[in-house]
Amino acid sequence: MISQFFILSPRGDTIIMRDYLGNVPKASSEVFFRKVNFWDKGGRDAPPVFNVDGVSYLYVKDGGVFLVATTRENVSPSLVLELLKRIGGIIKDYCGLLSEEAVRKNFVLLYELLDEVIDYGYPQNSSSEALKEFVLNEPTMLKPSKSKGDGLFPGVGKGPTGVIKSILDTSRTEGKAREEIFVDIVEKISCTFSSSGHVQTSQIDGAIQVKSYLTGNPAIAIALNDSLVIGRRETSGATDYGGYRHGSDTVMLDDCNFHQSVSLDRFETERTLQLVPPDGEFAVMNYRSTYPFKPPFRVSTTVEEDPNSALKAIINIRITPDFGGDKAASGLEVVVPMPREVARVHCELGRDAKSGAATQSWDWQEKARRLVWKFKRVQGGVEHSLRVRATLSEGWGAGIKKSIGPINLQFTIPMYCASRLQVRYLQILKEHKGHQPYRWVRYVTLSNSYVVRT
Amino acid sequence: MSGDGKYFSTTKKGEIHELKEELRVLDKSRRKDAVKKVIAAMTVGKDVSPIFPDVVNCMQTDDLELKKLVYLYLINYAKSQPDLAIMAVNTFVKDSQDPNPLIRALAVRTMGCIRVDKITEYLCDPLQRCLKDDDPYVRKTAAVCVAKLYDINPELVEDRGFLDLLKDLLADSNPMVVANAVAALADIRETSTQDLLVLTNQSLFKLLRALNECTEWGQVYILDAIAKMQIKEAKDAESIVERVVPRLQHANSAVVLSAVKVVLLQLPLIADEAATKALIKKLGPPLVTLLSEEAEVQYVALRNINLIVQKHPEVLSHEIKVFFCKYNDPIYVKLEKLDIMIALANERNIDQVLLELKEYATEVDVDFVRKAVRAIGRCAVTLERAAERCINVLLELIKQKVNYVVQEAVVVIKDIFRRYPNRYESIIATLCDSLDSLDEPEARASMVWIIGEYAERIDNADELLESFLEAFPEENAAVQLQLVTAAVKLFLKNPQPRAQQMIQLVLTYATQETDNPDLRDRAYVYWRLLSSDPEAARAVVLAEKPVISQGTATMDPQLLATLLGNLSTLSSVYHLPPSSFVTRAVHTPAPSLDNGALLRERTATDDGAGSSAGVSDGAPSPAATAAPQQSSSLIGDLLDLDISDPPPAPAAAAPPPPSVDELVEVVNAQSGKGLAIKAGFSRENNGPVFLLQLANGTQQSLDGFMLQFNKNTHGIAPTSQVVSVPPLGPGETAGASVPLTVNPALINPAANPNVIQVAIRNNQQGVLYFTSACKPEILTAPAPSATPLDDFFGL
Repeated sequence: MISQFFILSPRGDTIIMRDYLGNVPKASSEVFFRKVNFWDKGGRDAPPVFNVDGVSYLYVKDGGVFLVATTRENVSPSLVLELLKRIGGIIKDYCGLLSEEAVRKNFVLLYELLDEVIDYGYPQNSSSEALKEFVLNEPTMLKPSKSKGDGLFPGVGKGPTGVIKSILDTSRTEGKAREEIFVDIVEKISCTFSSSGHVQTSQIDGAIQVKSYLTGNPAIAIALNDSLVIGRRETSGATDYGGYRHGSDTVMLDDCNFHQSVSLDRFETERTLQLVPPDGEFAVMNYRSTYPFKPPFRVSTTVEEDPNSALKAIINIRITPDFGGDKAASGLEVVVPMPREVARVHCELGRDAKSGAATQSWDWQEKARRLVWKFKRVQGGVEHSLRVRATLSEGWGAGIKKSIGPINLQFTIPMYCASRLQVRYLQILKEHKGHQPYRWVRYVTLSNSYVVRT
Repeated sequence: MSGDGKYFSTTKKGEIHELKEELRVLDKSRRKDAVKKVIAAMTVGKDVSPIFPDVVNCMQTDDLELKKLVYLYLINYAKSQPDLAIMAVNTFVKDSQDPNPLIRALAVRTMGCIRVDKITEYLCDPLQRCLKDDDPYVRKTAAVCVAKLYDINPELVEDRGFLDLLKDLLADSNPMVVANAVAALADIRETSTQDLLVLTNQSLFKLLRALNECTEWGQVYILDAIAKMQIKEAKDAESIVERVVPRLQHANSAVVLSAVKVVLLQLPLIADEAATKALIKKLGPPLVTLLSEEAEVQYVALRNINLIVQKHPEVLSHEIKVFFCKYNDPIYVKLEKLDIMIALANERNIDQVLLELKEYATEVDVDFVRKAVRAIGRCAVTLERAAERCINVLLELIKQKVNYVVQEAVVVIKDIFRRYPNRYESIIATLCDSLDSLDEPEARASMVWIIGEYAERIDNADELLESFLEAFPEENAAVQLQLVTAAVKLFLKNPQPRAQQMIQLVLTYATQETDNPDLRDRAYVYWRLLSSDPEAARAVVLAEKPVISQGTATMDPQLLATLLGNLSTLSSVYHLPPSSFVTRAVHTPAPSLDNGALLRERTATDDGAGSSAGVSDGAPSPAATAAPQQSSSLIGDLLDLDISDPPPAPAAAAPPPPSVDELVEVVNAQSGKGLAIKAGFSRENNGPVFLLQLANGTQQSLDGFMLQFNKNTHGIAPTSQVVSVPPLGPGETAGASVPLTVNPALINPAANPNVIQVAIRNNQQGVLYFTSACKPEILTAPAPSATPLDDFFGL
């Protein structure tokens, strides 16, 4: 199975190292770091699996550090990558977060955990919950860094909560720590608009993430929409656009999978997931839907010749947030790649920006030839526009219009759920009066690949 | 600094000495701190082995935390201090009988990791006890320990009967123990000649039952073990599939992919066609779900899907949209998605696909753009009805005048011309417009080929060629070859004085000024043809060329079969057979024959595009001539010969089918366990060959044929042990011609001069021996290289 496991800092220092088979030289971490940094002469992402001189390197990058495994055998690469991801998850569960500092400050605890997680290169026990009985060390918690703390969901990735908390808090301090459970519906949406503004392809990749800090691990029940339908209809083709257009409440998913702790007895009949949540963070359910949904943003652009100057073009970009005014997107970035002919741009923010000009800005990245239009916060239903005056290196041609774009949007919309999946209720099945743990149910929609072609 | 971080920042000077002092203090917590500092130093790569005795002294303690730290140190340094490591044995043995199961397991786990021979003797008794421990946690740890011990001392494991104890654990009541036993046996099997995982029906069903209950990792161990079993009965296959299909819903991608592998392997055994179809349908959605995972997991999934869709495109034929590239996909994911898009493109979805590819061709990443353009070309070559649409997209792209797009487009258009001759020549004018921007050899060579091939339709073909010829001596060899050919074509099609002048110039340079033998030889051939018989030259040079095949992008079926059998392993990610990168030492080498293609295969498939097949006219594709040559010792040594490698022989051209009449039956179906062989010696291409005709009368497909001769009076031997025949299905017959060479090391004057002893083997049946009559005349004709070059041209 795997020969070595190590964690490298962003600068390539080994901060955790376990050798299981002794058949790969110790210098492998240096070989790995060089290879990853200079893949294809640098500037390119190295694939997560590669072979150098008979040694296979598999890695994931998380929290700025590299989690790496080496092997000389024909192992299952998915198994190794899942294991590396899982180790990252365990570190988060025990140390509150994964970073170079968190690893350095907790290395004895991590060695202790690794001892149980991997034996002779074979993954063993990897559930954060089950590992608790084997560890003796206490975690050293880091103070959350304030720098990225904007919005409800700092450190937006797949993680739901910004809570930095070790799962050891609850069990070790019996009752003193706050009893709480977070249930987050996190959806990553991909959407491609054609140049005429129609949705060409769209997809939702969602997960119900649970992070539980409940003493005694009581069972919980998560009830979802009654009208949840799973499975792709047999008919395929363009006529297959039922979904929201029919205005029904039905939520349709193509496919889903569940965490192994979930009992599906009540799922078929009541759409209720019952489980005994292990401590730590995990996905109760992952799902995927290619049924049409209402895209949260629409973008339209016009490109025209400047009547006053032959060497200028005027580009108007307008975005329309198509969701309720009670919600707001955070961190919206509109990235507009420009063709080679564009030498410079100057932008005017729309009149609407005057009220909150501080929340909007634009940036011309000359080297990458792209214009980035940024918003701190965009309220639902409020349109914004940007007027771009582009200085051209050669005269106006119709080709310019075509070679602007595709425009890409990145955003986070808290309390918004593209698929309209809902948690009807979250019940903690513990018969104990006065036991009132905090229950948090939250929604967030993130952009995955949100592309508007021009 | 708080937490453990402080241990990383010990002072440099006298560090070791300081640690030593601290380890000797009586205060427990200070001692623990000292050990933590030692571990920190060890992690960053400092050598802390000199304090070995001091650390080991801390081992006898009730503090489990401290004990674990000391064990960690021991595992790292015991090998460098074997004599001192013995000091630890007593504590281990004691701990292995501790009432606390955690400590028992810890002891046996750590002992197994200390790879010191002297310690292994002491390990046996504790291990024996722990394999039968009441606590499943101890048993599962002991199971893995057997594999550790086997790696250090296999004889000891066999003598002490640990393998049988391990097999007993396959029937353990605890699924974790079962899973670890499976993993340990599979690990041992990698280095052992015995097949340890021969599973009876009964044990198979026990495994299937454990499958539902064990951890995700255990599920993978069990699924992979089942995949390696030889299932023969349809009903076994059906019950395996029934149990395994629910695993497709698992959230762990490794479980999903291993389950897919197991299901695919059972498919051939399931006779019911409707059931097979239904199963194949079930594989689609879980595979698509893998694409919602992180990029790393996606990458592995995509490399595997690439293989699956080559064999079963129907699994995902309706899902092409999920393979469209996303804005934020890393480049390694995008490139894989492109390959799969091409494989799934068909006449129904081609418009959608082309729309996507056109978008990709305007992106920023140059490699991705190039591959997108190649993809359009490949769609044109495979989908006849869509060819015109593909060409229109290519023309649009050419008009955007992005340099590397134009070059790539020219290369693929050349392939399209070769696939559909005389159909799309109207676009040549557009191509000629961008002539000046071509600066890459492949694009230039392609353009020159197009000009030569369609010289009669290009008004100023002579001018265009002349513009290339100005820099002839500096051109890349591939372009020079094309220029010579194009000049000849132009001359034959239109023997104007200008063309005549051009050809003289080219041929003079190519025959007199160049060091490139290929170029010189080709020029000589043309020269002689033209000067002796222009009609013959016309017949040869302007002959109708075979249309290129559409399947140039697909993988060799034998390699594909090997890779599909290795789904969800590194082999399926590298697209290489395991033997080409796995280097683990085997105790008794088992011959492995699935080698065949090495790294070269990778580059071939990676570049993917069949368009890289070279521009050479009509001549057999160079890929065909480059039959595997490097495998002289793959077969092991069937006849116990002391052979040095035979001298390398020139690559033989693709042999014509041997004439079967002269062949004599040397092995009949009975003695060959169903395989009948006819054989004989002959000459081909001026060299001796051994002709074979193989008739497969067995019920299975046979592949991996290899051949070896015993030492003989002539010293003749095959140039390569690989017999290049496709896998032989039941009832199929194939012929092969194996080029022979003379190797003085293999001469045995005492042997019968008229008979050669031959050994042949294949992957399924093993080795067969036979003799074949050999007439010495086959060796007497002079070898082709013996003719001096001067004579050749003076003829």
